[in-house]
Amino acid sequence: MKKLSATLRRQEIGLFGVIIVLTLIFSLFNSHFLTSQNGAFILQSVAVIGIMAIGEVFVLIAGEIDLSVGSVLGLTSAMGAWLMSQGVDPWLAVVLTLVFGCVIGLIQGSIIVYGKVSSFIVTLGTLSVGRGLTEIVTGGGLPISLSPSVLVIGQGVVWGYLRWSAVIFVLVCILGQFVLSRSVFGSRVTAVGDNVEAARLGGIPAGRTRVLVFVISGCLAAVAGLVYATQSGYAEGNAGNGNELFVIAAVVIGGASLAGGRGSAVGALLGAILLGALQNAFVLLHLSPFLQQLSIGVVIIAAALFDQVRQGSFALPRWLRGRNSRASVVTPDPPDAPVPASGSSASTS
Amino acid sequence: MGEELLSGDHVAVLSVRGVSKSFAANRALSDVSIELKAGKITAILGENGAGKSTIIRIASGEIQPDTGTIFLDGEEAHLRSPVDAMRRGIFVVHQEPQLVNEMTIAENIFIDELGERPFFSSWRKQALVRRAVELLEGLHMSELLPDPRRHCRDISAAERQLVDIVRALGRDPKVLFLDEPNSSLSRQETDRLFAVVRGMAERGAAIALVSHRFAEVYELADNIVILRDGMRVASGTVAGLPAEVAIKQMAGEKRRSSPSAGQEASVLGRGSDAPPADRTAGRIAIRLENCSGPGFSDVSLEVRAGEILGMAGLVGSGRTEIALAMIGATRIETGVIEVAGVRGAMHSPEAALRAGIAFISEERRTGLFYSQDIKFNMSVNVLGKFARVGVIRRRLQEAAMQKLADQLGVRAESIDAPIKSLSGGNQQKVLLARALASNPDVLILDEPTRGVDVTTKREMYATLRELAATRQLAVWFISSDLEEVLELADRIVIVRDGRIANNFEGGPDAGEVVAAALGERFTAPAAIAHSNNPEES
Repeated sequence: MKKLSATLRRQEIGLFGVIIVLTLIFSLFNSHFLTSQNGAFILQSVAVIGIMAIGEVFVLIAGEIDLSVGSVLGLTSAMGAWLMSQGVDPWLAVVLTLVFGCVIGLIQGSIIVYGKVSSFIVTLGTLSVGRGLTEIVTGGGLPISLSPSVLVIGQGVVWGYLRWSAVIFVLVCILGQFVLSRSVFGSRVTAVGDNVEAARLGGIPAGRTRVLVFVISGCLAAVAGLVYATQSGYAEGNAGNGNELFVIAAVVIGGASLAGGRGSAVGALLGAILLGALQNAFVLLHLSPFLQQLSIGVVIIAAALFDQVRQGSFALPRWLRGRNSRASVVTPDPPDAPVPASGSSASTS
Repeated sequence: MGEELLSGDHVAVLSVRGVSKSFAANRALSDVSIELKAGKITAILGENGAGKSTIIRIASGEIQPDTGTIFLDGEEAHLRSPVDAMRRGIFVVHQEPQLVNEMTIAENIFIDELGERPFFSSWRKQALVRRAVELLEGLHMSELLPDPRRHCRDISAAERQLVDIVRALGRDPKVLFLDEPNSSLSRQETDRLFAVVRGMAERGAAIALVSHRFAEVYELADNIVILRDGMRVASGTVAGLPAEVAIKQMAGEKRRSSPSAGQEASVLGRGSDAPPADRTAGRIAIRLENCSGPGFSDVSLEVRAGEILGMAGLVGSGRTEIALAMIGATRIETGVIEVAGVRGAMHSPEAALRAGIAFISEERRTGLFYSQDIKFNMSVNVLGKFARVGVIRRRLQEAAMQKLADQLGVRAESIDAPIKSLSGGNQQKVLLARALASNPDVLILDEPTRGVDVTTKREMYATLRELAATRQLAVWFISSDLEEVLELADRIVIVRDGRIANNFEGGPDAGEVVAAALGERFTAPAAIAHSNNPEES
């Protein structure tokens, strides 16, 4: 019972509820919204943002930030396309693109950790560097066509309406969640983000862990770059422009803390889906695109506020408190008698 | 309520009546009433988790009680926030000093004024420094806290605590809560603090003191209130409630029948009292020879397997710096280090851990992962033990951590509870558990029992002695608590000005030597008297 109420209080569950409710509301206005075709479409359209968000969640949990993901997306996809245009085997080019993303992350992480520069500054810098390099590779932003044999990544159909890009997104999320919650590395990321000094003095390889989260972020930005380019069939100079804001928004909506130590890949996936569903609904309902931008901003702030309330950072007004605190009422208060906590009494008496 | 007010000679300045408070499903306080009278010092005693900190947080406006009322000067008062409480003259010296690291000592002392002054008034740093110097001189604390222009990020744990104390004392409070104000202070600094506190009481302030050092409580307090499991179980004057009775009241029924609290902790194996001679004969676990580094120079010492080395010294003497260099957190510039006979300095705490050296740092804020649960905090640096190809096997991890938590008597609902829900002493036990989880050969503890109650301290001492005796663990602890050094250490090292000033066997005569060594630069003859403290009777 206690476990259940703890689960229900998680941000992911709240987010899932919000998505369900919004889906029901939207489907009232447009019967096309709640179809498996549209569902698959939303999943595939958020795949690019979502894959980057999985990488970003590692960075945020480690207490850092990566502003360069959109720019790395543009650069890696341009590099991949250029390699293919130079006659490199297309699948080898795909592998090289992923390695290239890792190397970018490695360089950024090393500067941040060993050069002791804040990740905000370094990734802001590489955002600009990446854009410049992309312009050079694409010869001023001209699109480069990809080899048709790799287009299956973005356009290939798995079954029915389901595309490979959506499957890649979900697989990356599952793998990311597994690493975060079940692996030694995931725990180290959490420790470093929660209290880097305690982690270091406690014998955790803090520096190496912090570098690795940027490698993961760079690698997943490259994956996103490949998905993006193969969806359209060519790499273009301004691909991923401004994406970092949506990526960070998705992660924060998913319950990650910008202060580090907290976040989940499943949350990031749901955050990305919520953003995608909103965008999709505005198109289907023929609403103003200005309203769309506005509502996305509202969602970001509301998610952050909800997170604070959930953690009990400030008291709710009385009329709201009754309903919201139901989860904690489930666990009965201990009787008034001084019953010592079970852990200690069992051992000391 | 009228009769209660008239019953004593002194008027209750602050009284807390029938206060209850729960955190989620944890009952922290139930129906507790406490009266603080003008001119009196009231000690609030209790084990870790008894509710002492909670009652202070309520009485200073930091949190709101679920039920119950607070009366200030006989009138009901709603303390909306700490600022509100300060405006009414209620101040708190926290167990963990809350300072702005990027500001100077002087700015931190007067930081409350930032909240009270009009928006456009000036905040002149030079004037603040001058006022800080004057204030420190008035309190006779200038030599304890020299140069108020230093930044708080650069000062030691003891100096941080002094800044927090001076900040409260400087406001001439009507009600003052001292939550283990001297847990990282030397005897000499503590004496100075207590003299000031006594003077404030004489001028009519109501003072509440939380401390785990019984000698101090009986030296300073007029009245005693004892809390246990969130309830008030006893109260009275110092004369009416001798230490023996107080300890029993704090511990409660479950321990009253057993002969000694220390024996109960003997869960790790057989009894602990091996003669000291056996222990000093062990092989050398750590050897430092003529080591110099940031904050210390020409340090030579040895710690043998099975030995407990106590490192005592005044604040800022370089004790912590030596330990940090030993585990590779800072660099050793010159000198030789040997670990288990192998030469070579540690280049990181991670390498030290792998070489079998576990470390617990001085301040909990540099040791704990505050947003995580107990289990995470206990096992985070040894997860590799429970993992196969990097994937944690949770059952193994949970079983091992549960066992360790039980052995050390961590008081919590479960090991899945957040670390924040534990009291300071229990958090300290979690840190000890983490250090032991790595199964070390050498354990380095910097102020291991800061903010830990008497019973828990004894349990921790017994655990350490036992580990030294049965597993040949080499223990090196740093402490500014004279009683602790004398009680626990087989051998004592005195650090002064970054050098080893003295190195000798522990024993009945050690007290005088340590006290003399600690007090040589200052006058602290009182320290000797405190070594025979009432709690041992």
